[in-house]
Amino acid sequence: MRSGFDISAMLVWPIILASIAFYLLGAKESPRLLFAAALGTAVMMMWAQVIVGAGGSLDNQRVFGTLELLVAAPVPLVSTIAPIMIGSGAFGVYGLVVTLVWGRLLFGIPVMIENWPAFLVALPSCVVAIGLLGLIAAATFILYRSAFALGISMQYPVWIVTGLLFPLSLLPAWVGPISWVLAPTWGFRAIREAALGGPVWSSIGMCAVVSVAYLAISLVCLAYFERLARDRASFRLA
Amino acid sequence: MGVIEVEDLRRVYRSRTSTFKRGMKEVEALRGVSFSVEAGELFGLLGPNGAGKTTTIKILTTLLLPTSGKARVLGLDPATQHRELRSRIGYVFGGDRGLYDRLSGLDNLRFFADVYKVPIREKHRRIEELLDMVGLRGRERERVETYSRGMRQRLHIARGLLHDPEVIFFDEPTIGLDPVGARELRETVASLRQAGKTILLTTHYMFEADELCQRVAVIAGGEIVAHGKPSELKAAVADRTVIEIETYGVDEQTLGRLRGLEGVTSVSTETIDQAQVILVQAADASLVQPLLGLLDGTTIGKVVSREPTLEDAYVELVREA
Repeated sequence: MRSGFDISAMLVWPIILASIAFYLLGAKESPRLLFAAALGTAVMMMWAQVIVGAGGSLDNQRVFGTLELLVAAPVPLVSTIAPIMIGSGAFGVYGLVVTLVWGRLLFGIPVMIENWPAFLVALPSCVVAIGLLGLIAAATFILYRSAFALGISMQYPVWIVTGLLFPLSLLPAWVGPISWVLAPTWGFRAIREAALGGPVWSSIGMCAVVSVAYLAISLVCLAYFERLARDRASFRLA
Repeated sequence: MGVIEVEDLRRVYRSRTSTFKRGMKEVEALRGVSFSVEAGELFGLLGPNGAGKTTTIKILTTLLLPTSGKARVLGLDPATQHRELRSRIGYVFGGDRGLYDRLSGLDNLRFFADVYKVPIREKHRRIEELLDMVGLRGRERERVETYSRGMRQRLHIARGLLHDPEVIFFDEPTIGLDPVGARELRETVASLRQAGKTILLTTHYMFEADELCQRVAVIAGGEIVAHGKPSELKAAVADRTVIEIETYGVDEQTLGRLRGLEGVTSVSTETIDQAQVILVQAADASLVQPLLGLLDGTTIGKVVSREPTLEDAYVELVREA
C-alpha cells in the first residue's frame, strides 16, 4: 500500500531526473530529443520503483513478520511477490504522466505520440518486463536481510548500461550485450519508438521474450533461495 | 501413528563471527527432541526463552529445515513435502508482528484468504464466521494500527484459521496480553480443541498449559526434560511442600545458606512489585522455622506454605536441566 508520501515524492523525482536529462543532453533545441528524455525519465522511475520500492517492500514484509507467513502459505511464493514487483513498475506509469506534465510546464516539452495503439501495448509490456527483472532480484532479497541496500546499489548501474542516463554510444562496446539482456533497454525502446517512430513491434516482442526468460529464471531462483533461506533461518530479522 | 511425530530432531544455527573473517559460531538449538501428538489432542510445549520451542514449531510449519532427525505432520515431511502440507496446517504466533498495520482487519483477512487458497465462494462466509468467533465484528473496517494488542492477537487467530486447517500451531499466543484478553484467547483455543482440531501450543505460562493441555513436554536447552499429563508432572514434586517467603533485599550468600539446609530441594526467587519472594521446595512445612532462622535480620513479609503446582514442577525440571 503506497502512502501519500510516495505519491508526493513522485511529483518531485521527475523534475530532478528530467532536469538532469534536459541539461546533460543539451537538448533544449530539439523537442524530439527532449520528449525522448522525458520518456527515459519515466522508465528510470519504473526501475527505481521496482528495485528500491519493491526491495523496501520485501524488507518491510520481513520486519512486519509477514514474509514468513507468505512463505508458509500454500500458494507459490512467486504468485505473491510477482504482483508486488509488477505493481511497483505500474506505479512508474504515474511517474510517466507526471514527467510529461512537468516536462510540458517547465521545459515546454510537447507530448507527441506517433502510434497510440503501439504505445498502449508498449507501456504495459515495459512495466511487466521491468517488474519480472525485479522478481529475479527479489529472490536474493528473500535470502539476504540487507535487501534494501542491495536494491539501492542496483539502481544506477541498470540506468547506465541500458542507456537511460545517457546514450549507449558513449559507453564501451562491451556494454552493448549487457544492455540487451536487461528489460529497461527494450522497454524504453518500445515506448520511445511508439511515440517517436521506429520498429516498435520488434522491441515489444523483445520485451515479451525477456519477460518469459526472467519468469523462468526467477522461478528457479525463488525455489532455490527459499530452500536456502529455510536452511539459514533468514526469513526473520531476529 | 500420531498426527505430529518428532523423532531425534536436531537444529544447529550457524552464523559468521565477522564479516571479513572465516570464523563461524554454532548454536545447537535442538539436541534430539522427540515427541508425538495424537489426533484431536491439545499438546503443550513448555520451556523458558531460548529453550527451542519456536525452532521446533518453525520446523514443523515448514519454515525451517532441521539439521538432522525426522518430523512428520499429517504423515508428511515438512522439509520435503512442504507444498502439500502448507494448506493443511495453521500457524499463529504471539506479538505485534505478522499483520499489515496500514490495512484494515478485514483487508488483512481478505488478502490472507487469497494467499491461503480459500475458494472465492467461501471466502466471504468464512471471514464473517471468523470475525464473529474472535469478537472483532464491528471493528473489522478499522486499520490494524489502531487495534489493541488483544485485538491484534484475535485477528492473528482468525488469519490462522481462514483455510480451516486440520493442525494448528500456536507459538506463545498470549504473550503480552492483559489477563482478560489472555483468558478469552484460552477459551478460543479450548473451543478449537472441542471442535476436533489437533493443536500444538508453546508457552512459558504454566497455568495456561495446566488449564488447556491434555499432555505437555518440558523443553530446556534444546532437550525434552519431561513429558506426560500435567497431573503426572505435578506428581513428580507432590511429595514436597512449597514455602513462599516475602522478603526485601536478600543477598546471594543468604540464599546459598537456605539451599544448604537439610530437606531443602531448591530455592528460587522472583520479584513482585518491590518485594523479593523466595520460593523454597522442601520436604515438609516443618522447615519454615529453620528457614526463617537463617533469614534473621531480614525484613520478612508474608510466609505461605502450599502444595506444588505445575509451575513448581516446571521450575524444578528446568533447574535440573
